Amino acid sequence: MKLSNPILVKEMRTRMRGKRAFIVLTGYILVLSAIIGLIYLVFTKNAPPSILNTAGRVLSAVLIYVQMGLICLIAPTFSSSAISSEREQETFGLLIATLARPSTILIGKLGASLSYLMLTLLGSLPLIALTYSLGGVDMIDIVKSYLVMMVAGVTFCSVSFYWSTLIRRGVLAQLVSIVTVIFLVAAMPALAMFLTSLAMNFANGPTTGFLNVTFLMLRTNPFAAITYLIIPGVPNPPNSVWFHTVPLWITQVLFYVGLTTLSIFLSLRRLNSVRKWL
Amino acid sequence: MIENVQTASAVGDTTQQTTSMIKLENVSKYYKTFPAVNNFNFEIGRGEVFGFIGPNGAGKTTTIKMLATLMLPTDGKLSIGGYDVVKEPHEVRRIIGYMPDSFGVYEDLLVWEYLDYFAALYKLSPAQRKRATSDVLELTDLTTKHDAQVMSLSRGMKQRLCLAKTLLHDPEVLLLDEPASGLDPHARIEIRELIRELCRMGKTVLVSSHILTELADFCTSIGIVEAGKLLAAGRIDEITAQLSGNVMLEITVKGDPSIAIEILQERPEVQRTTCDGRVIRAEYTGQADDVDELLDYLIQRGVRLLGFTRSQADLEDIFLKITRGTVA
Ligand SMILES: Nc1ncnc2c1ncn2[C@@H]1O[C@H](COP(=O)(O)OP(=O)(O)O)[C@@H](O)[C@H]1O
Ligand SMILES: [Mg+2]
Repeated sequence: MKLSNPILVKEMRTRMRGKRAFIVLTGYILVLSAIIGLIYLVFTKNAPPSILNTAGRVLSAVLIYVQMGLICLIAPTFSSSAISSEREQETFGLLIATLARPSTILIGKLGASLSYLMLTLLGSLPLIALTYSLGGVDMIDIVKSYLVMMVAGVTFCSVSFYWSTLIRRGVLAQLVSIVTVIFLVAAMPALAMFLTSLAMNFANGPTTGFLNVTFLMLRTNPFAAITYLIIPGVPNPPNSVWFHTVPLWITQVLFYVGLTTLSIFLSLRRLNSVRKWL
Repeated sequence: MIENVQTASAVGDTTQQTTSMIKLENVSKYYKTFPAVNNFNFEIGRGEVFGFIGPNGAGKTTTIKMLATLMLPTDGKLSIGGYDVVKEPHEVRRIIGYMPDSFGVYEDLLVWEYLDYFAALYKLSPAQRKRATSDVLELTDLTTKHDAQVMSLSRGMKQRLCLAKTLLHDPEVLLLDEPASGLDPHARIEIRELIRELCRMGKTVLVSSHILTELADFCTSIGIVEAGKLLAAGRIDEITAQLSGNVMLEITVKGDPSIAIEILQERPEVQRTTCDGRVIRAEYTGQADDVDELLDYLIQRGVRLLGFTRSQADLEDIFLKITRGTVA
């Protein structure tokens, strides 16, 4: 394969050469393996045979949840320093003065983060193959879960790339990116839960408006999407709610694709007006 | 001040016989309300080496950044090679090489990777990149550092590496912002030799400095700036011709020169006196043939003279005259 984007080539060179990439990748796989190993040990040593059958399902679910959590933590760090670090080390002016178009910069920088993200996700494939072989989950649900994780990772990278074009200090850009991710994955469901508990106190039960808003918020959440995919018997949304026929993961993925598109659009616009803020 | 601004535009007008490569028309740049660049007008002809001289904070970097397509002017028009810098930045970038006053390098790359990266960003093919890389390394005397870590280079070498990067796409116009600043004397000389070499290659060079003498011996034209104002700009010979109508006198005295200075200043035709040890330099605005009257007057007032000579104004005198001694 011919890599024709010089920024991508350079980013890959420096990223993969440094110790950091190796440490993050190894740490990621080790954490996952340790958790799976521990649970597996607990299962095989102490569990009665009736529960033993569910080992595959539990392990797969745990693996996917933990992985989703790790992506929330590390994906925002992948590209949140893409532009701010260039500004901090005073190399950005030289880059802008070249013939690199804003799209070249975006593709190069974001492409490097995304390849790194994909590498991380692929690293867990042997583990998921192992838990899958224990049975209890459908292959198609695992594939869908990986899609959800991938799209979430891409979105977090794109959003933090936008922050890195806005915020001059790398550390601050990183912090804001992580806060954004926390808001997306934690604050929204917290709000949804709060609304639900509020609705419980209504005299005639929750109004449909309330239910709609609550479920819409749930539909933005990758953890909720995964839950519906790999945990059997989660109650479906009531029939009165908007989009109740559409699987939750589809709307969640669409919402994140929308966020990614918006981030990319805003980043390109920002890079196009670079002479106003350099 | 006002007469000097007129000087600048008058000189600008006379350079029209050469094709101009860089042109600024009524260019201003305000940071919020602070005028960093105030109504600059000048032209630089093809193949000229333009020394952009002024103290820190004069507005040199701001001007160069606007030319390098990194900053928008608040007002006015800049063009390079006939392209409008504001409207056609991509075309401008193709023909300029820009070296900032302070810059970083990607520390974790090798020297050849660093150059290859920029060469690729300038759309050179892999074969061209290899050639260009070895060419610029040779020119900047870094050939032996081809495989070295950028991190391991000395300050002077990094400066030369940045200059090498600037030359990769063989630009016609070079914008060099204080290329020798922060270097030890030896490295300064190397950079100056390099710029001289670039002049010989026929490139149009705009090079800034806050030290006049650094540029004096290879510039063909200069622009003198101070506190956001362009005091003069144009070809050195033209500025010299315009401003050196006055005679510079070098007067060496025995004893305290300050008394002699006081006496000199009584004379209306003596405009500006500076003192360096026992040597007084004075600008004489009267008729050149009547200098003897001043000499008579000094002797008559009891000044003990060791020397009294006329000298032609050189770049340094012009500089002092234009900046009125406020720029050291
Ligand atoms: N980004 C900025 N914001 C506000 N003021 C600035 C900025 N950059 C430069 N200045 C001011 O503009 C003036 C000109 O600066 P500069 O162009 O860097 O001068 P020089 O390169 O001649 O030393 C200075 O007074 C400086 O303080
Ligand atoms: Mg400067």
